[in-house]
Amino acid sequence: MIAVLALLAGVVLGVWLDPSVPAALQPYLPIAVVAALDAVFGGVRAKLDRIFDDKQFVVSFISNVLVAALIVYLGDQLGVGGQLSTGVVVVLGVRIFGNVAAIRRHLFRA
Amino acid sequence: MSVRRDERERPSRVYAPDFLTELFRNPLEPGYAAAAQRRQVDPPSRWHSRSARTVTVVVLVVLGFLLAVAYRQTMEDEPGRSQARSGLVTQVKERERETDELSARADELREEVGRQRDAALSGSAAARLRDLEAGTGLGRVRGDGVVVRLADAPGDADAVTGAGAGPPRVLYSDLQGVANALWSAGAEAISINGQRLTATSTIRSAGEAILVDFRPVTGPYEVSAIGPGSMKRRFEQSRNAALMREVAEKTGLSFGVREADDLTLPAAPEPQLRYAEPSDNPSASPSGDRSAGPGSTDSGTSPSPSGGGR
Repeated sequence: MIAVLALLAGVVLGVWLDPSVPAALQPYLPIAVVAALDAVFGGVRAKLDRIFDDKQFVVSFISNVLVAALIVYLGDQLGVGGQLSTGVVVVLGVRIFGNVAAIRRHLFRA
Repeated sequence: MSVRRDERERPSRVYAPDFLTELFRNPLEPGYAAAAQRRQVDPPSRWHSRSARTVTVVVLVVLGFLLAVAYRQTMEDEPGRSQARSGLVTQVKERERETDELSARADELREEVGRQRDAALSGSAAARLRDLEAGTGLGRVRGDGVVVRLADAPGDADAVTGAGAGPPRVLYSDLQGVANALWSAGAEAISINGQRLTATSTIRSAGEAILVDFRPVTGPYEVSAIGPGSMKRRFEQSRNAALMREVAEKTGLSFGVREADDLTLPAAPEPQLRYAEPSDNPSASPSGDRSAGPGSTDSGTSPSPSGGGR
């Protein structure tokens, strides 16, 4: 409950403050969002598995976002930014799918 | 299905270290399980777990913030792109309208100038000027004459056989030949698809397009000419007309000549007159005469050693 409220507070803050993203960071934003979603779904699944751990969640969130951004940055420097971004999205997408499937099994027993 | 049965029968089955299989089977971070085990062994202190909870809440706030920012960013980018495009479109339309307005105004002013000139000049001089304008293509002319029609061959005739690169097309040299034959047949004014030819007109090709005075014309091409009644007969007897008839017969181009009454040929745009000027370099033009105005036949500059520069 608190978690949902915190999430909503963050959204409201983002809409209210309406910050402008520096042009240099713009390519990393979508990848960071996907990485963050991966951490969130992992956390939700762990919650439903009753093994949620705050420290684990925080560390996985931050490291996911940073690693994803780092990979995209490296790809940009090497000239394969687009392909590496696709790779990151595929891997994280597969993880999100797996976690959502586990969540679905928990919630609907199906 | 079979996989599930396998799982039930042998839950501890060890999978081959296949990356994708591993990824699909075990998307959860193993850290959660490890942390849970650790907690069972050594339960964390109350203060510790509360501070960890706070950090989680902060991270969730950051996450929400991130989502909102990313959403806004994407939404802002999209209209930005389409706005740029529609902005360009409106600019193009605006410029086109401005051009139309300006050319209409130029026509008006040209007519005004003509009227003023006619009023200022005596009758015979004005008539002579009008004749000259008609002859040089700077004035609109009306009269009887002929229309020569040229068109590309129909597309499918040769495309099926695949004989060449596309159907036979009218070439710029065909138009040149027809125009020259018409001039020599006595034409007094010629226009191609509404483009009046003058003494300085060009008929050229650029890629597949034909340019008359640097403006593209597209087929079918109608070469209208005003001239004496004998013009049609003389044109048809000319070598170019015979050539075009033969080309038309062999390739399927269409080529037709008909007499037309009361043709109106538009005026050509004002020619860009170019003037020769003596070189600025005093040593190159010993006479130092820089007053040689447009069209002046100043002999003082011609013997200059530089040959007149430009």
